[in-house]
Amino acid sequence: MSGLVIDSEACIGCGRCVRACASGGIVVEGERPNRCARVTDGCILCGGCVDACPVSAISIERDEATDAVDLDAYQDIWVFVQTDEHDTVAPVAYELMGKGRELANARGCRLVALVGMGPESSLGELEHLVCAGADEVMVCRDERLRQNDAEVYARLICDLVAERKPEAILYGATAFGRELAPGVAVRLQTGLTADCTVLSMDTETGLLQQTRPAFGGNLMATIVCPNHRPQMATVRPGIFKAPDFDYGRSGTITQVALAEDAKARVEISIPAEEWGQQASIADAERLVVVGRGIGSKKNLPLMRKLAEALGAELGCTRPVVEAGWLEYRHQIGQTGVSVSPKLLVSIGVSGAIQHLAGIGGAECIIAINEDPDAPIFGAAQYKVVGDAVEVVEELLAQLER
Amino acid sequence: MSATIKPFTDEFEEYGRDESRSSGEASSISFPTSEGEACAILRQLHAERVSVTVQGARTGLAAGAVPHGGHILNTSRMNRYLGLRRDDEGHFLLRVEPGVVLSELRKQLGKKMLPTAGWDQASLKAYEEFQEAPEQFFPTDPTEASACLGGMAACNASGARSYAYGPMRPHITGLHVALTDGDLVELQRGEVFARGRHLSLVTAEGRALEFDLPSYTMPETKNASGYFVADDMDAIDLYIGACGTLGVITELEIVLQAAPAVVWGVSCFFDSEDKAVSFTDSVRPVLSHAAAIEYFDAGALDILRRQREQSTAFSSLPALDKEAKVCVYVELDCDDEAQATEELYHLGWVLELAGGRDDATWVARTEVDRECQRFFRHAVPESVNMLIDERRRTDPTITKLGSDMSVPNARLADVIALYRRTLAESGLESAAWGHIGNNHLHVNILPRDAQDYRRGGELFAQWASEVTAMGGAVSAEHGVGKIKAGFLETMYGHEAMVESARLKLQLDPAGQLGRGNLFSEKLLDELVQKGGA
Amino acid sequence: MSDFHMVVCVKAVPGSTEVKMDPKTNTIVRDGKQAVINPFDASALECALALKDDFIGFGMDVRVTVVSMGIPATEALLRDCIARGADDALLLTDRAFAGADTLATTYALKCGIEALDEDFDLLICGKMAVDGDTAQIGPELAGAFEIPCVTDVSCVQSAGFTTCGSLALVHGCDAGEETVYLEMPCAMTTAKEIGQLRMPSIAGIRAAEEADVRVVNAADVHADPARCGLAGSPTQVVRSFVPDRDQTCEAVEGKPTEQAAKLAKIIEGMA
Repeated sequence: MSGLVIDSEACIGCGRCVRACASGGIVVEGERPNRCARVTDGCILCGGCVDACPVSAISIERDEATDAVDLDAYQDIWVFVQTDEHDTVAPVAYELMGKGRELANARGCRLVALVGMGPESSLGELEHLVCAGADEVMVCRDERLRQNDAEVYARLICDLVAERKPEAILYGATAFGRELAPGVAVRLQTGLTADCTVLSMDTETGLLQQTRPAFGGNLMATIVCPNHRPQMATVRPGIFKAPDFDYGRSGTITQVALAEDAKARVEISIPAEEWGQQASIADAERLVVVGRGIGSKKNLPLMRKLAEALGAELGCTRPVVEAGWLEYRHQIGQTGVSVSPKLLVSIGVSGAIQHLAGIGGAECIIAINEDPDAPIFGAAQYKVVGDAVEVVEELLAQLER
Repeated sequence: MSATIKPFTDEFEEYGRDESRSSGEASSISFPTSEGEACAILRQLHAERVSVTVQGARTGLAAGAVPHGGHILNTSRMNRYLGLRRDDEGHFLLRVEPGVVLSELRKQLGKKMLPTAGWDQASLKAYEEFQEAPEQFFPTDPTEASACLGGMAACNASGARSYAYGPMRPHITGLHVALTDGDLVELQRGEVFARGRHLSLVTAEGRALEFDLPSYTMPETKNASGYFVADDMDAIDLYIGACGTLGVITELEIVLQAAPAVVWGVSCFFDSEDKAVSFTDSVRPVLSHAAAIEYFDAGALDILRRQREQSTAFSSLPALDKEAKVCVYVELDCDDEAQATEELYHLGWVLELAGGRDDATWVARTEVDRECQRFFRHAVPESVNMLIDERRRTDPTITKLGSDMSVPNARLADVIALYRRTLAESGLESAAWGHIGNNHLHVNILPRDAQDYRRGGELFAQWASEVTAMGGAVSAEHGVGKIKAGFLETMYGHEAMVESARLKLQLDPAGQLGRGNLFSEKLLDELVQKGGA
Repeated sequence: MSDFHMVVCVKAVPGSTEVKMDPKTNTIVRDGKQAVINPFDASALECALALKDDFIGFGMDVRVTVVSMGIPATEALLRDCIARGADDALLLTDRAFAGADTLATTYALKCGIEALDEDFDLLICGKMAVDGDTAQIGPELAGAFEIPCVTDVSCVQSAGFTTCGSLALVHGCDAGEETVYLEMPCAMTTAKEIGQLRMPSIAGIRAAEEADVRVVNAADVHADPARCGLAGSPTQVVRSFVPDRDQTCEAVEGKPTEQAAKLAKIIEGMA
């Protein structure tokens, strides 16, 4: 039986595992020197104690998979290429192509792009996917794929996987990608790692090393999927760089079909506006981000002025939205948008973990805050301790000069 | 000496105002950072007989910190934590400067961390014990947590939890008070008492002070009106609630206590005010762990409903049932969940007897729910302020008129009947909320125009005399400051005002400190001309 | 049998997601604070309770069942859900469920939901859990039941339900917010905007104290042990670590004017 294993020889009975456990799953018993940890029924195998043990006395053991699939039958890396209803490719797809190419090279396999579009769409843009690194572009043109319906797309992918057996599939962690990929995973009974920020290939085993943040970015975990195929991961937009197009590359474009009986069961009544408006802060090169520390709503015009002077978009923290100072679309963080600007000027933001989770992609962060111990400074390159309004007024004066 | 007396230029404009939304003029201002600096400044001003208004965080609602000419001595930069000790019963006593802000103190206590820079060995040892001990808290909770401790002491602040914990007064064990000439009085609770109504004090410089206390009797109700005087009283109590008229508080020692293990908030909604009042009357003797009993009347809830519809700031408030006309909020501070559950069931039983429904209640048992309830309670005054701000756009002369009167337990129904009758007669719009457990409601008049504003003022004056007749207080927690000086005279009579002013002049012969607070400047100046005290 | 049965999946998560590094041993210390209901799942429950109010207004008989996989102590949180207005609760608790990734969790929840005495019309999950952040359980469960799923729902309009049998949902998609119609049975995941979970009443707390929270193990719900917990999880965590925060933070000092001048230089240097 698999489970938590404690090496009683190694265990020193320090009790760190007990403190690390949120579910009462481990206790330390006995008198020194025979004090030792013991697992209880509360253990959920979260691994918290494994990480906390200073002498590596705790491990999680699992039984060898009995019904392991024939791993060698699977090959190639696929990238799911998301398009909108006008068949425009989402920017994250190119970012995935760049990373996918790198992984395919390491593994010595092919990179395949998978695209679904409306029936009368042109194949022109698909050449770009070849330029971005695809060896093959599989495209399905079908009326039922015009709208992004997760059930219909899941059917397309599952049928193709059954036929062609890819070793790995990458998805963008867009709203649609996050809806689609779990549906595919459960139908294929395979693993899925969400929101990866690092992907690398173990060239020996072909295992995709998938690293993702957990606990609101406080903890990073590297995850593998050893006995199931395909290995699947979603990747947040803005994490990887889109490659420069290589117009000399060649690749094939293959048309594939969607099963006759696949049909959408979600009816769209009021469509959303085009992509763009929403994406403005996610894709901005420069951002001014304000928190409650700017004092009051009446200081917002000043912050807007700074944003204008810098050619930046305006973002904010959750409390600012909750106070009704700015709309939700400006919100950055775990429950808002993730951003990856070149420059981020953070003003009056204390730096709650949930917020920091959304600004990890920024290249340079300048933080202005009154509190010298504000956590935001831990994520910043430049630390300015001072009154937000005063510093911004002075900075504006300098910039306008 | 780094703190200097600066001319009162435009950059200091905000220091001419406080939360009462009234403003005044000054000619100079200073921001001392220590007791020594504050005393030096007072010494210099005393030589020139310049009047001095003491300020803390300017969150007061009675204009006590609004200057009436002269100098503003702002204590907000005197915000160090000075030391910690334990008394014989094991309580932690914390010494702080007056500018320490309550919300900061709470944050530090919550984290079990205090800034210990410059502390002596004994304090550091007590600090070690503090970190090992159960979490400590300071119970006084004026709604505005950005208040500073000096200001809270100067007006004997209260708040919702005063129902169980009393006002600021019993939580202060030590005070340093700088006198108008820069000399210091250092007081420790339990050390110096009056003999009858006569008090003898010795200053830090060794000067002996002898003075008589006014002869009036204070009402037996929640009270922050005028000087605290009683036979054989502890000298320290004279300076708590003195509205900055007797000296400048430069250091406080406060008592901490173990934070309650379980805090549950219960909002009870009723379809009539009568039921809420009858519930309050009957629940008081039943509950032994109620920390607060608060009330929101129909006017207040209506305004909240409207603002919730209109403003995104309030859209996350929980929706109020149509049947819910008024609300009584009870906070239970208990040792464990079993005790809290028992209290809750007692409360539910009284609620049904009073004609309420136990499914028309909100019980906050988790941090998220408590936060939601806190938001709800704070949204009431905020939404009323927003309404007034809207009206000020058409008529900038009007402001909210808020009452702060309390009566003894037996007169709760009477005082509410008085408010309702007179408000109905006057046709004024109003919203009331506050500390019904202490028979202490803030009735707010919401003037639509200048005439309403004037009539509201007249109504308050009428209430002041009727509340006095009921054995109540004209200011239960905000202090008298400048705004309620007239009501104080209504409450105690002219002779008491003269005695109070004489007391002040014995400690501040030139009448420099806190001019306009408690009594009129005219009265003070007349007495000074007659030869002072 | 009710006219409309909603199942809400909830997860107990640590009250704080703070993670620290023990400087002495270089190991990870997760603060094992008191568990709370995942805030997104709290919104899912509020969504169900608000719909219940609407449907009762239409004269329907409505039932809300809360389902969770967790340690035995999770029962107290499920009781709290009942105090707030849920009708029943089911807790799946078994050592065999320990170590489950999203696929194995989905399987356990599916077994539990299938073991309820009544099929559901609507399955509601929070959009994600604050400790795992995967946002996978909702769509995986929908896939497992072969029903459509709408994620990140911020508003549910029930007005047309009695006439056309479908709900109008406003949800976040890549292009912003769209409104969709959905027929039952279906699944959705909720955003916090859908509303803060209502507080319990005294009556609710009394009822919850007497209510029966059904506690079951893997065998009770006929779950295949090979598909549960660690054994049934395709993914494995091979390493966890606290991310390096950028330590090279440069302080920009001086008076505001001087600070601003230095900042202006830094910004110009980047253009």
